[in-house]
Amino acid sequence: MSSTSSLSPGIASDAPEAALGRTGRWYAFIRSIPTWIVWLIVIVWSIPSLGLFVNSWRTRDAQTSTGWWAVNVDELTFDNYDQIFSARNSIWDSLANSFAIALPATIIPIAFAAFAAYGFAWIDFKGRKGLFIATVSLLAIPLQVALIPLLQLYVGGAKWTLPLLDKTITLVPDFDLAGETTAVWLTHTGFAMPFAIFLLHNYISSLPKDLFEAARIDGADHFTIFWRLVLPLSVPVLAAFGIFQFLWTWNDYLIANTMVGSNPDAHPTTILIANLAGDFGRNEHILPAAAFVQAFIPLVAFFALQRFFVRGMLAGSVKG
Amino acid sequence: MTSLGHRHYGVGVPKFFWSHIWGEVLETKQDGGTAVETAATPQPNSWFATQSLKARVLLIVGAVTTLAFMIFSAKIRSTIVTVVVAVAVCAGIWIGANLLFDQSRERWQRFQSLVFAVLGAVVGIIIHGNGLTLGSEGGFFSWILGPLVGGLAFGALGYFLAGTEDAQQRLTVSVAGMAVVGLGIGLLLREQYQPGVDWVATIVYTLVFAGIGAGLRVLTNRPWQSGVYLGATLGWLLGFWAGADVGDGNVGTAILGAVVPAVLVGIHVGQTRNPDYAGRVQLDQTSRAWIFLGPGLLFIMVMLVIPAIRTAYLSLLDRDSESFVWFDNYKATFTDKASWDASNWTNMFTSWPFLIGVAVLVIAALIGFRQKELTGRAVELGNPTVVPLIAGFLFVCFGVFTAMRGTIINNLWWVVAVTFFSTAIGLAVAVLADGRGGEKIAKSIIFMPMALSLVGASIIWRFVYQTRDISKEQTGIANALWIGLGKLSTGSGIPTILGMVVLGIIVAVCASFMGQSLVRRAYGRAAVPGIALIFFGWIFIRYTQIIGGGIGGFKTNANGETVGETIVFVQESPYNNFWLMVILIWIQVGFSMVILSAAIKAVPTELIEAAQIDGATDSQVFWRITLPQIAPTIVVVVTTLIVLVMKVFDIVKVVTNGQFGTQVLANDMFQQAFNNLNIGRGAALAMLIFLSVLPVMVFNIRRMQEEV
Amino acid sequence: MKQSLLKLLAVLFAFALIAAACGDDDDDASEDTGSEETDEGESSDGDMAEGDVDFGGAEVTITGSERDDPSVAAINDALNEHFEPLGLTVTFAGDADWEANINTQVQGGNPPDISLFPQPGKLADFARAGDIVPLTDEVVAAIDEYWAPGLSSVVNVDGEQYGVPVKSDLKGIVFYKPARFEADGYEVPTTYDDFVALVDEMAAAGGSKPLCVGIESGTATGWMFTDWVEDMMLRLHGGDVYDQWISNEVKFDDPRVIEAMQAVKDLWTEENVFAAGGTISATNFGAPVAEALAADDCYMVRHSNFFAGLFPEGTVFADGSEDAIDVFYFPDINGDGPVLSAGNFATAFNDRPETMAVLEYMATADYAQSRQAKQSAELDGNLSGFLSAAKGQDPSVYQPLEQQFLDILSSADFVRFDGGDLMPADVGSGSFWSEGTALTNGDITAEEAGANIQATWPE
Repeated sequence: MSSTSSLSPGIASDAPEAALGRTGRWYAFIRSIPTWIVWLIVIVWSIPSLGLFVNSWRTRDAQTSTGWWAVNVDELTFDNYDQIFSARNSIWDSLANSFAIALPATIIPIAFAAFAAYGFAWIDFKGRKGLFIATVSLLAIPLQVALIPLLQLYVGGAKWTLPLLDKTITLVPDFDLAGETTAVWLTHTGFAMPFAIFLLHNYISSLPKDLFEAARIDGADHFTIFWRLVLPLSVPVLAAFGIFQFLWTWNDYLIANTMVGSNPDAHPTTILIANLAGDFGRNEHILPAAAFVQAFIPLVAFFALQRFFVRGMLAGSVKG
Repeated sequence: MTSLGHRHYGVGVPKFFWSHIWGEVLETKQDGGTAVETAATPQPNSWFATQSLKARVLLIVGAVTTLAFMIFSAKIRSTIVTVVVAVAVCAGIWIGANLLFDQSRERWQRFQSLVFAVLGAVVGIIIHGNGLTLGSEGGFFSWILGPLVGGLAFGALGYFLAGTEDAQQRLTVSVAGMAVVGLGIGLLLREQYQPGVDWVATIVYTLVFAGIGAGLRVLTNRPWQSGVYLGATLGWLLGFWAGADVGDGNVGTAILGAVVPAVLVGIHVGQTRNPDYAGRVQLDQTSRAWIFLGPGLLFIMVMLVIPAIRTAYLSLLDRDSESFVWFDNYKATFTDKASWDASNWTNMFTSWPFLIGVAVLVIAALIGFRQKELTGRAVELGNPTVVPLIAGFLFVCFGVFTAMRGTIINNLWWVVAVTFFSTAIGLAVAVLADGRGGEKIAKSIIFMPMALSLVGASIIWRFVYQTRDISKEQTGIANALWIGLGKLSTGSGIPTILGMVVLGIIVAVCASFMGQSLVRRAYGRAAVPGIALIFFGWIFIRYTQIIGGGIGGFKTNANGETVGETIVFVQESPYNNFWLMVILIWIQVGFSMVILSAAIKAVPTELIEAAQIDGATDSQVFWRITLPQIAPTIVVVVTTLIVLVMKVFDIVKVVTNGQFGTQVLANDMFQQAFNNLNIGRGAALAMLIFLSVLPVMVFNIRRMQEEV
Repeated sequence: MKQSLLKLLAVLFAFALIAAACGDDDDDASEDTGSEETDEGESSDGDMAEGDVDFGGAEVTITGSERDDPSVAAINDALNEHFEPLGLTVTFAGDADWEANINTQVQGGNPPDISLFPQPGKLADFARAGDIVPLTDEVVAAIDEYWAPGLSSVVNVDGEQYGVPVKSDLKGIVFYKPARFEADGYEVPTTYDDFVALVDEMAAAGGSKPLCVGIESGTATGWMFTDWVEDMMLRLHGGDVYDQWISNEVKFDDPRVIEAMQAVKDLWTEENVFAAGGTISATNFGAPVAEALAADDCYMVRHSNFFAGLFPEGTVFADGSEDAIDVFYFPDINGDGPVLSAGNFATAFNDRPETMAVLEYMATADYAQSRQAKQSAELDGNLSGFLSAAKGQDPSVYQPLEQQFLDILSSADFVRFDGGDLMPADVGSGSFWSEGTALTNGDITAEEAGANIQATWPE
């Protein structure tokens, strides 16, 4: 997305402003309507977050008696944040857990998916297309179906009882991972795979073919091409997927709650905050602050790297 | 490695990576220019050396501090260690495999010896490393010795086989060599592991597996013999060793158990031939595909495929997964009133959205007829039929969805509404903001909700939709505005009149636009202001109480006083469904906006300029050029959204948990399987979601592949 | 160039700072536990001499649906105060999604050691499926010593005791302000007819509404409605019909059940009810209702004992002062004085000695009063909302109002357990809630609600 597009394909603003006078002003007003509409949408879009942000600094009484737009200086307080940071289960521990989940769950799928995407894009083998479609179709599986089988795998490993004989063979040993953050990021890694392969494949397969042919003529093998050519050229899409996956794993509640719900030491921030509210509506007033604490890291990561996000996401969906 | 690397594509990985980042970061700040160029141009020296001293110091300090802090946190440290070890081991194996297969084309003998050696080492690790053989109690040393011996033995065999083409010789050497290996293993096996044989199991397993092996070969059109050998080997290993009472046997049984499979493998290997160059290329290609796909497919297999197959199986069983009920779970889902209740379908004809929709569709049809006379086509991108057609369809859908209720209907509603509004608003912003001041800020703000968790977003909107008793001040902005509008509309002070004036102006502007277009017989251009006119005109009429008594949240109580009336947004069915969808729309508009915006910027400028020279108006440019150009991208956005929406779960779970008529398939599935432990029903719902998304998914991929 | 570099560094530093904060805290935490361990190590010598048990650093995990901060803290502290000297660490984790998670964990083979079941019906299902283990004789002996048979037998499945009662709830009590009643000339009703008459009288007076009701409870919205219906079933049709209703011998579409639901619906009219959240089903059952009663938005709230813990700080109870809040028994109809109770039951997923030791302790009066003391300390001396009917507790840990609750519980001879908690999950924590909410909203009639609920009863 470069800033070079001075052209305006839409109902845009390059009208001749030559005709002045009354009609000219009327014309200018009409011309500015799209801008007003955009900013109207922007305002509507930011009001929910703004309201929550304002409320996160207001006392409980203020929150429950008047709307956030009626804020005044006396009601402002740091107590809500204070309550979160001094909660019994430390928010710092849960932030560390969130990192311990989100970092590996972001890095490992990137590597594996890059291999696979390259394989699908540039290695010829029988049934390539079918396998690719089958792999990416798995995006359609609602991930809830895998929770119980995976928990069983983490807890008990996988065993096969031989028919006729009273013997079992251990296919996967029991690592007793339930309650560990490892179980969460392993799960994320698996679930992320179809989407990661899909996204990376779009990008990697759209790299210019001449590049590969030249390299092949030079005698480069797949490994060299992948390592020397494809990986460096794919940085935008790797980063884009990285951000996507980081946001997703950081914000995940369902998988984490299933895998480590019974071990408070491994709770990430999402679970901590869900439990903070309590069950009697007594702590509703700290929810806004909690939501902002939880969103802080993803927002930082997001705004710092959003350009990559855009570039990588575009791969394959935009031609030209 | 070849000479490729630096000569042709002189971009060391880290350098390229960083210069790329600088390029990106700079682009946000500056309008191109020198800095970008310096950063983006690959420098002959390492990137780091090109930075200013201050920058270098800052960078080092930053990196060291980050590292130091990370090392101090036990949790992060242990995670890093786990990840680094895992990644290093995987990378080692993966790179090793790649290097190994790099040999296969040109250096066949070396390649085959190495492959055999690796296999031998694996056998050595399994047998010796597990302490099955004598002399393996030496700790670390025994982990080395076994693989070493195995590797050497097998490697030598591989080396010899790769060196000769004589079939007789190959067979003899292979069988003899493998027999010696088997004999060695059998002799060295510790006494407590010598097996007492269960002949029945051995024979049954060997025969069954040999049959399976042969069958597989025949199915893939290859000679069946080698399948027999390999199958029999596996069968023998399983039947003989797993069926045995370990420790009851003697040296003889141990030798028998090891030699037979070894010889079988030997026969198989001895009958193969060394591939010619084409065969080797083929081998390189195929095996390389598996090396690249392997790690990813392994995860997919374990985490998705096997659970999915299990789910398909469970969906045919009853609630406790004990007996087969075949398709009863599916039948139950479709006959359940909760998932599909059409009993009130007649309400459709009295529902406002439906009637409006029909009216708009009639207008669309009229315009369509006229267009057909004019241009020969009733519907085409950019002709005036499109807008009323889409609007009418949407209204009719809403009418149908509010009259018929149930989980499946709700899911359809989600798909239609979220997909349409996310795409439409995203497109509108992308088009309207394009090239204007503040475009980046506007887009960033609209994009921001994408960074929030669905749970967080639901909390945000719970506050927006909050309702309080009318005797109290409202704390949710939605109800505050609604009641405020009601007060304004039913009041009589200056604010009321001001509101009337503002609304009047808006109506007048819309009307004049529409009028101008109609006078010029530009019926297409009249559509948008026309629809706006209907909308604002209706509000104006209600507001000024020309028809009906005002607009907004108010009602007349028993004493004849006008008091406020709130909307309990998340509970008042059926429109509460729509208020839940708003949350997802709020999040997803950013996604479609970004992608469509980039697509718009990628439309070739020549096309647009040519059109403008021909005197096309901006809206004509949009409908006739931009829209057709970005149509493929719109399809991508729409299909992506459909897949996402079909699986929507978190929002419904957090906000209503499916109550108040807002149930959707994914949440129903969760409740059935996890809350009610009705596993069969839950699995059937999961399959339904999968099957309904699958066509969209496959369509999407196919289209994508055609383009590439 | 430099600017952008600084920008990137700023991002890096932000991450570093967060990591640092985590790191610091982590270290602190480990130091803390380290020092605690040594402290306990010294004192444990004494305990060891008495108790002669040492679990050698074993751990026991407990999960449950209670997740309010004071409750979680009190459970953890009470258990660890007792077990830490014995070398046993107990962790209680409150889970916002316990109902689903306990199923997942059991199916996945990863249950906690102990879980606190609010639903005996679910507990019985688990027992029949062999997912939970019967309690050892020592634990059963402790239960027999401290608990009335009426309260513990509800988790006796096929002759085996599976659950330890750890918390008792008393339902069907009405909170009100005696001073306000007096000032406005109302009297505490003693029969149900009086109660209805009183409600009508208050509604007609046009001042505060007679009742405050809220049934919103996040994903469990509607359970408050089922409470009311259960109270009505008991009062209208007596214990036998109630028992048959729970086992579905009396169906949900039976006229008697519909009558009970209709009775509730008839009371919950717009004239009678103040709903702080706009409508009854949009109002949280907890703090908002308590605040409304304290702020004189209504006269009465029918609720459970734990409701006392949800009032704003500084609320006084039963001390005769002007703003004091007191309770009266939700009047009966047939004069048989039924009492509706509920509670949590600790259940073991394995029979490790430490698991059973924890359960044995949880059955005692010692645990109950320890938790009560800690929980009210967490709330700065306000009513804790916790109640345990274990015998032999030091009465001084309970305030007068709470003692009143205990008296009602222990003296009642017609006690029934919360019916919704005894029904299968499809109904008890599913359709009964959602159809009740729909009925409350006026979307369906009582007859429709009854038929819909009956349709979801699993065969």
